[in-house]
This record gives sequence, structure tokens and C-alpha cells, in this order.
Amino acid sequence: MMSASRVRGSRIERLSRRSRRLIAAATMLGLPAMFGWSAFWQRTSVPSILWGPVSFVLIGVTLAGAFVLYRFVRDRADMPGTRLDERERQLRDRAWILSYQVLAVVVVLLGAAVVIPVLGVGSPVTIDAPAATAVALCLGVLLPLLPAACLAWLEPDPVEEP
Amino acid sequence: MSRAERTEPVLYNRLAVLRAERDLSRQELAEGIGVNYQTIGYLERGEYNPSLDLALRAAEFFGLPVEAIFSRRPFAPMSAQLYPAPAPAGGGAR
Repeated sequence: MMSASRVRGSRIERLSRRSRRLIAAATMLGLPAMFGWSAFWQRTSVPSILWGPVSFVLIGVTLAGAFVLYRFVRDRADMPGTRLDERERQLRDRAWILSYQVLAVVVVLLGAAVVIPVLGVGSPVTIDAPAATAVALCLGVLLPLLPAACLAWLEPDPVEEP
Repeated sequence: MSRAERTEPVLYNRLAVLRAERDLSRQELAEGIGVNYQTIGYLERGEYNPSLDLALRAAEFFGLPVEAIFSRRPFAPMSAQLYPAPAPAGGGAR
């Protein structure tokens, strides 16, 4: 008899590309959204009782998404990938290229968020400890996940019958 | 990836027909040529072009020349090749 975890694993492996793209995007946006929500909550009069549940949901999206992405990708995003066939290696390489492209865009946007107000408008930008912690945590959690998310994003719809 | 999204040329193949003729599952064919069964599915759907090495391994597995399995042009149906339409009666040059 097939175990529950095996069935769950196979369900994850059979996810459509559309579902995987949704999960990958939600996973990558959950944690930054939580920090954004916390900053919003501190600056407005949103009731404190809302902060916890909303933050919990947003972190949960990233954690649950990371679990699904890692279960889907397994070791297929890793180097050197000696067990992979030629198509899987090609897909892994495309995923890494996409990861670098996404990272480059994020770095440029972060740089622009700092440079444009300073040079364009002349207003000072304060990078305090909470902001630096948020950026460091997002990079630390999401950067290792990026190749797996890109691979899940790129992999076509699965073949149903083995 | 649909064929419309692709930038590389489409390579047609007869893998699905050959596999059905020999009553093979994708898993069995995949084990025979040393790839993941998903790769066989993507090859059959025309979503992945094999390397020369993989194409030759498939040809070796089926015992056929590689051009019998892969082609840059769509294959004519097997039935049309086995039973070509007869020439029209009274046709041809006088």
C-alpha cells in the first residue's frame, strides 16, 4: 500500500505549471509582504489584533510554498546533478540563468529605491536596523529558494501516464 | 511550453507510435534509453528536442535508423506509407 507521504509527494509532482507558478510567486512574495505589512501596521492605526494573524498567514505562505517547491524540485536544481538526464540538466541551467536575471532585477530595484530619492528628490533615505534586518532576512530565506522556484516556474505541465 | 512559445526548430518524431507498436510504457522506454519518463513525454509532445546522443540511443533501442524516428518535417501517416493511394485510372502522360 502506498504511504500517505508518497501520495502527497506524487500529488505535488503532478501539479500543473499554472499552479506551480502561482505557488512560486506567492512563496517569493509572502515574506517581503509580511515585512511590508508590519511597516504599514506601525505607521497607521490598523488594530493591533490584526497584525499577528496577517503576519502569520504571510509567513505561512512562504513556508508552505517553500515546502511544496522543494518537494517538487527535490535535487533537480542542485549542482552537479549527475543523476539528471539531459533535459533535466538543460532545465536546471535555464532555472539558474532565470535566477540570476531575477536577482539582478531585485538588486537594481533596491538600488534605485535608495539612489532615486537621494539623487533625484534630494531627500535622505534612512536604512535603520529593522529595514536592514528585513532585507537581510528576505535575501537569506529567499535567495537559496530562488533556483527551485525558477525551476518550478519553467517546468512544463507534467506527463500524466508513466 | 507550447510549440508556439518555442524559438528552436521543431523536431518531429514517431516515439509514441513506436512505443505503442511495441506495447511499451513511457517508463520502460525511459529505462531503455536512460532518461526520466517525463522526458519521454516531453519528446512525444514535441516540447523537447533530443541531443544527437539521445536520438541515437533511441534509434539503437528500437533497432531503426535515426531518420525513421526523428525528422525535421512532419511524418506521413504509417498507413499512407504502407498503403499508398493508387494512381487514378487512365491518368498519366500519353
